[in-house]
Amino acid sequence: MNLFWEGYAWPTIVIVAQIIAMIVPLLVAVAYLTYAERKVIAAMQMRKGPNVVGPFGLLQPLADGVKLLFKETILPAGANRVVFILAPVLTFSLAMVAWSVIPVDEGWAIADINVGILFLFAISSLGVYGVIMAGWASNSKYPFLGALRSAAQMVSYEVSMGFVIITVLLCVGSLNLTDIVLAQRNVWFCVPLLPMFVIFFISTLAETNRAPFDLPEGESELVAGYFVEYSAMAFALFFLGEYANMILMSGMTTILFLGGWLPPLGFAPFTWIPGPIWFFAKVALVLFLFLWVRATFPRYRYDQLMRLGWKVFLPFSLLWVVVTAGALLAFGWLPK
Amino acid sequence: MSLAPDLAAAAPELFLACAAIALLMLGVFRGDGAGRPIMRLSVLALIVALLLVVFPMGGEGIFFNSLFIKDVFGNFMKGLVLVGSGLTILMGWRYVERERMDRPELPVLLLFATVGMLLMISANDLISLYVGLELQSLALYVAAAIRRDSLRASEAGLKYFVLGALSSGMLLYGLSLVYGFAGTTGFTDLAAAFARDAAAGTPVSLGLIVGLVFVAAGIAFKISAVPFHMWTPDVYEGAPTAITAFFAVAPKVAAMALFVRVLMGPFGDLVGQWQQIVVFISIASMALGAFAAIAQSNVKRLMAYSSIGNVGYALVGLASGTEAGIRGVTIYMAIYLVMTVGTFACILAMRINERGVESIDDLRGLSKTHPMMAAALAIFMFSLAGIPPLAGFFGKLYVFLAAIQAGLYGLAVIGVLTSVVGAYYYLRIVKLMYFDEPTEVLDRPIGREVGLVMGVSALAILLFFVMPSLVVDGASAAALSLFAG
Amino acid sequence: MIVQALAFYLFAAIMVASAVMVISSRNPVHSVLFLILAFFNAAGLFVLLGAEFLAMILVVVYVGAVAVLFLFVVMMLDVNIAELRHGFLQYLPIGALIGLILLVELGMVAGAWVISPGAGAAAHLPIPPPDQVTNTAALGHVLYDHYVYLFQSAGLILLVAMVGAIVLTLRQREGVRRQSIARQISRRRDEAIEVKDVTSGSGV
Repeated sequence: MNLFWEGYAWPTIVIVAQIIAMIVPLLVAVAYLTYAERKVIAAMQMRKGPNVVGPFGLLQPLADGVKLLFKETILPAGANRVVFILAPVLTFSLAMVAWSVIPVDEGWAIADINVGILFLFAISSLGVYGVIMAGWASNSKYPFLGALRSAAQMVSYEVSMGFVIITVLLCVGSLNLTDIVLAQRNVWFCVPLLPMFVIFFISTLAETNRAPFDLPEGESELVAGYFVEYSAMAFALFFLGEYANMILMSGMTTILFLGGWLPPLGFAPFTWIPGPIWFFAKVALVLFLFLWVRATFPRYRYDQLMRLGWKVFLPFSLLWVVVTAGALLAFGWLPK
Repeated sequence: MSLAPDLAAAAPELFLACAAIALLMLGVFRGDGAGRPIMRLSVLALIVALLLVVFPMGGEGIFFNSLFIKDVFGNFMKGLVLVGSGLTILMGWRYVERERMDRPELPVLLLFATVGMLLMISANDLISLYVGLELQSLALYVAAAIRRDSLRASEAGLKYFVLGALSSGMLLYGLSLVYGFAGTTGFTDLAAAFARDAAAGTPVSLGLIVGLVFVAAGIAFKISAVPFHMWTPDVYEGAPTAITAFFAVAPKVAAMALFVRVLMGPFGDLVGQWQQIVVFISIASMALGAFAAIAQSNVKRLMAYSSIGNVGYALVGLASGTEAGIRGVTIYMAIYLVMTVGTFACILAMRINERGVESIDDLRGLSKTHPMMAAALAIFMFSLAGIPPLAGFFGKLYVFLAAIQAGLYGLAVIGVLTSVVGAYYYLRIVKLMYFDEPTEVLDRPIGREVGLVMGVSALAILLFFVMPSLVVDGASAAALSLFAG
Repeated sequence: MIVQALAFYLFAAIMVASAVMVISSRNPVHSVLFLILAFFNAAGLFVLLGAEFLAMILVVVYVGAVAVLFLFVVMMLDVNIAELRHGFLQYLPIGALIGLILLVELGMVAGAWVISPGAGAAAHLPIPPPDQVTNTAALGHVLYDHYVYLFQSAGLILLVAMVGAIVLTLRQREGVRRQSIARQISRRRDEAIEVKDVTSGSGV
């Protein structure tokens, strides 16, 4: 009995509690990210944004959620049912799963695994399946075109993202996310690796299908891309998944380049603020950049997108890997 | 752990690989017009690599964690491969330009193929064997299909690729069985394991024999020995002539060196097991090379069967499994290289009205229109037929002598008989050139390179008997080095 | 340990089932999706073995890149299974014969399998204790130190494959308009537009 309690039941309860403690704030954050997006873009375009439901429109996300929940889910006649339903579920759950390894403070991660960064990279590379499956299963031409675009786009930008991650790993000497953050005690990697920080940020825009790389949706030419045929909760899952992915990518940027939960300067007034607050502040900053970019830049043309990925980012990040490795070796800065 | 001695040992390979990558960059930035300078530079790179082989940095031994071996045998064979590659690229380039396939990638691919051959020759591990072989093959598959708008060339490339992939599969299957038996992939360790088993009197495992058979089959495909020769005539005929010339020379030498290295090195103590295989494929190759060539009217197909036959003769030396036999193989491959380069120089020169022709009948009366070329081709044909005192005779002499010393009388007798049959079709070409009336006149040979290669190789074949020690001494040292350890 | 065993059976069962579905499914897209599921469960098995690096690389490389391209091709090609089956039946007898011969040979080999007595000693790659070296570092040592020669040679093979693929397929088409960003940016106002003073009513 004791063995059962201490060996299985209690760990299960702890893990479930941790998961809930991670997921619930995340979902709230996703909901209010949509609100923030509308408010920020409205402010940049000198509009008011949502301001009717609740004080300052703060209840707007809840109202949207309730609306989508009560709508009817429509399955197109020619659709491949299983895959059609699986696609949004996959997108959403992948966006959630990745959070299991994100450390919000030292030791504050559900699973602090040795190959954390690879896990994140692997999960983010799986995101493309939600899009492809949705586009294919809809059995309709716009979703299919959107899915094809997105598959090519996400695979292309993953390559340069991989190189960026390798550069950071060279400076850290570990694949563990906590080690990566702790290696930035002296200086955040966004300073010495500034070009890679920029490439990484732009690649995350492409990886999350955000403006100016939102061709898979491309409402002006593809109506809404891969989720044209989706409605109600299935659509909501895509929506939530996309925004959760944005937060995830911001978290990844924070961990890799902005020193995670570390304060910007290691002395008195900064160290009083607890780590998680710093972490969330940095994530919020990166998210603001996402929204700012969306409000500012026009959409890329497809060939421009591919050119940027393969002919600019790939050679440049490859070169920077070589330069970084060479510098680390030449000056004896290799970790350990 | 410093890599410097390892890097010095592999200097020719490293230099060639770096040169190929640099030339690739040059080709990318200069565009399609850069074909000729890149060809020239690649020949220069081959010459430098040859110098690095002839005047090696550092001593002989085993390098890169026993993945790479450097010895006299390897150096001799590498020298042959580099000479073969350099000559065939040099003499083929005018043809390549005339046929509008002078893309900068072609010489680069051929350089990579040569790097693969050097890696094969230096393999001291089952994995490095496979990696070298694959590097060479992959580059050659592409080279065969480089004229992608030609149906025949594409077909040749595809056939070569599919059958090559099959043979690689067989080779890998065999290698994995060998690894499963001995628990190691290193040639040194394998040889030690087999020697230990042989000393202990342990019977040879069935799985090991099956593995050995598959390995032999995989390599026999690369040297196009019967019964793994099916691809040769089609690929030789379909590929552009300049590429065929390349196929016929350096890869054959390299694959033969690899075959020798594998059978004499790790499997040296299993000679009883593989001797019958080699004897069989040797007899089959000699016989098929002799009989099937008779009916050919296309000179490239003829050369394909001729090379199958020649591989059979070289295998006679390997079958004996003795030092004299290996010396025979080495000499034979050296002479084969010169004869084949010369003959292909003549084939490259066969053009009527700016168009390459490949029929044997186009050679009618060549002695009256192009006496020098006819004389050179006649020398090559006599030499291929094995008529003394030309070099081809000595090549056969050394392998047959080795076979007789090893007690393989039957093999030697069959070899002599088939070479008599083979003489028929070689001499038929001589007859066409000297005793028939010309129908159409061939164009003047294009470029000096072809004529130069033709003349030099004819002289080398003709005057071999004056100074045989040049080749024979090197080959003896090479063979000795395989038996030293 | 029960949890590990349960996880193993879960991953293994799903993997075998999805592998069966890969070859038995009628729709090629479903086959690829099942293949992905099989990869994923294989990665799970690697994690159970403690080979976490391999597990993640399997997902990144095979699931994240190779299978995407595969799916891409399968979705665009309208593969007609019935047509494939047609040829399949035609070559079935000879294929089955060869397969049978190989199977019998394999059986004979396996039946009489002997491992060289010195095989254990010959395995000279020591496995580092897992509690001292992470498996990422261990793999790195094998790949970049011990087998650096093969690693580089394999790199050359991939380079040749890439060059070959481009040489055989890339066609320069005439008359394609390309964007030259440098030229666009370096354009000056006075090259691009001309201001004309037009008196009203007279036309340009």
